[in-house]
Order: sequence, then structure tokens, then C-alpha cells
Amino acid sequence: MKWKETKIVLAWAVLMLSLLVPKLLAAQQAAAPPETPANPPAAASQEPLPNAPAPAPAAPSLGDLGFTPQQSQPNAQLQAILEKRTHMLKVHQRLGLITTIPMAAALITGSMAKAKGKNGEPIKEPTQGNLDFHAVLGGATAALYFTTAYYAAFAPRVPGTHKHGAIRVHEVLSFIHGPGMIVTPLLGIMAYKQESAGEKVHGLASAHGPVAYATAAAYGASIVAVSWPLHLKFWEKK
Amino acid sequence: MNKCILFALLLAASPVRAQSDTQWVAEQATLTYHMSHPVHELDGVSHAAKGKGVCHAGQCDFLIAAPVNSFNSGDTNRDLHMLETTRGAQYPMVVVRTRFSQADAASATFYADLEVQFAGQTARYAHVPFQRVNQGGEVRITGTVPATCSDFKIDRPTFLTVPIKNEIPVRVEMTWRPM
Repeated sequence: MKWKETKIVLAWAVLMLSLLVPKLLAAQQAAAPPETPANPPAAASQEPLPNAPAPAPAAPSLGDLGFTPQQSQPNAQLQAILEKRTHMLKVHQRLGLITTIPMAAALITGSMAKAKGKNGEPIKEPTQGNLDFHAVLGGATAALYFTTAYYAAFAPRVPGTHKHGAIRVHEVLSFIHGPGMIVTPLLGIMAYKQESAGEKVHGLASAHGPVAYATAAAYGASIVAVSWPLHLKFWEKK
Repeated sequence: MNKCILFALLLAASPVRAQSDTQWVAEQATLTYHMSHPVHELDGVSHAAKGKGVCHAGQCDFLIAAPVNSFNSGDTNRDLHMLETTRGAQYPMVVVRTRFSQADAASATFYADLEVQFAGQTARYAHVPFQRVNQGGEVRITGTVPATCSDFKIDRPTFLTVPIKNEIPVRVEMTWRPM
């Protein structure tokens, strides 16, 4: 009977020891300061002993992950390029939005600057004031537009980047509204001269209105494209 | 009685075996940040993250990193702006370090304390929940890091003069295999 009790006690002792020893060892390893012997023995320093236990693996470092230096090294020059680029594109965005104001006003006043009446009859409308106001708005639109375009065209390019996404559509649309913004004022000048001379707009100048509308439509689409995809139900909380 | 002792010894030995040294490597990793704006909701995805983990004496140290320029939101212009805003050329890597108990990580949901280095700043997130699913010999970990712009002193980018939301949660989906 005594021997049985002894065996039970022994079993529990072994169980407790087997549970505690690994934890104690781990705690000891964590608590112990790193040993830096002042004069390590020359023979013990480099070559591992054949039966020595494997050293405890160290926490992984960034170097273990295999990133190339190009990926992981800081690049101050690139950061400077990015900052200049962002600054110029922010100005581009701001001026682009401001441009929509005189552009919309020019489109609205366009109908007021249109000659009314039949050919051969004296033309009373538009008044010179209406014509001038429309011309000033058109001029302001063109000036703002080309300043806006300058900030996009001369923003520094980031080497090694291939454009994709909505920015491509934004750029493609500039091939419509860009020429449109050159042609529209030229046609406008022609139309202005004809109307100032008391004539109804004719010939190429009569395309001034349609070209202006097409240009404005492409310009608006360009703004929407760079904002794509729009989250239209923005008032709904997720 | 001898069987009892043997069973007890086996029971006692199993946690010791579970806490043996192991090294893990990320087989596949996807990090996705989510950005919200009143007229915009978008995700930037990186599949270029790499990771390594070392478990020793019941403690696991894991390191996950991804190049900041590897995130793709579907638009080059936006990605370059993100790179500039997050000072991604100056601090090209986002690095996540975590330490947790090996025993805790065995459950289907475990909690980890994270240290994230990003944009030249270090932020700590305590008790972040992760889900663990065993897939053959591999382990799939998913979770979301509740990151914010202010954690990393990032000036929130604006669109149509309205800034994005401060919250930029990062979804982590990783498959790990033992080395």
C-alpha cells in the first residue's frame, strides 16, 4: 500500500516537473541579460561543437525577408520629385475647378450674345454689352484653362511608373477639350467681329457654339473621370 | 497504475512538444487598405508583402513587411499621391512586428499586439483580433489593423477640398507555412 502511494506521488512529481521545467527555462532565458564576455576564449567563439544544441533562433529582421535594396532603401530624390509633383497637381486640381465657373458662365451668356432676327433686317440683339461680357468670360476661361494645363503638363514625371486607371481617361479627354479650348476662342473672335459688324454669324464662326459645348462636355467628363468611381450614396452611413 | 503514470507523462509532454522551436514563412500575403471620402470609397491592395515568424520557448515573434509603393488602388495618380503623402520614398517599407504566446495562437481567434512602422512613425495596436484557419500544412490568418492617418502623422489627402476619413483600416490576409 505504501509503495502504491509512493508511486502516485512520484508520478505527480514527474508530471509537475515536466510542466514546470520548460516554463522555468523559458522565463530564465527571457530574464537573463545577454552575456558579453570581455575576453571570449578564441576556440569557443566561432566553430560550433558537434553535439552542441542548436542556438535559439533570433526574432526575424527586415533583412531576412529578401527585399531588394531598391525596394527598402530610402530615396530622398524621389520624395522631392513626388512632393513637387503633388504640389503642382494640387494647383492643377484647384485651378481646374475654378475654371468651371467662368466656363459655365460663358456657356450661359453664349445665348445672350447670339444675334437674333432675320438676315437682311437690322440686328438689335445682342447688345455690345452682352457681347463684351461673353467675350470677357470666354477670355477668362481660356486663361485659366491654359494655366491649369500648364501645371499638369509640367508636373514632374515619376520614373518607372506606367499610367493606368481613371487618370488615363482624364488624359485622353484632354485631347478633345485641349484643341477645343484653342478653337473655341478663335471661332469666338470671328463671331464677335461678324456680330460687331452687324452681321449674323456665318461660315466657320457659326461652329463657335457647338464647339464650345463639346469642349465643355469633354472638360466636365474629364473632371468626373478623375473622380471615378464616385460613391454616389455618400449620405448613407455604412 | 503504471498506465496512469504513462498517460500522465504523455499529457505532460504534449505542451512541451507544442512549444518547440518553429519558423514560419508567409507563403502568400495580401494587405488591403481602405480609404473613405464623401464621394469616394476605394481599396489599395498589395500582394508584395513578405513575412517570417520564429517561435521559441512558447513565444512567437513575427515580422511582416511590404513596400509602400506596391499598393495598387487602380489609379497611378492616386497611388503616387499616396506615396508622397505617406513619405513612401523616404520610408519605403511598412513593417509590422508582433509577439504573442504560441499557445494563444493555436485558437481559432487570437489576439496580437502589433507594432507598425510606417511613414517614419511607429504606432502600437493592442489586442488586435485575428482569425486562424488550418489549411493542410498551412495556416491562414486574417484580420484588420485599425490604422488611422493620425497614428502616423499623415496629412489627410483632400479631394474637391474635402479630406478623406482619418480611418484607413488595413485588412491582412496571409498564408503561413512552417519552414
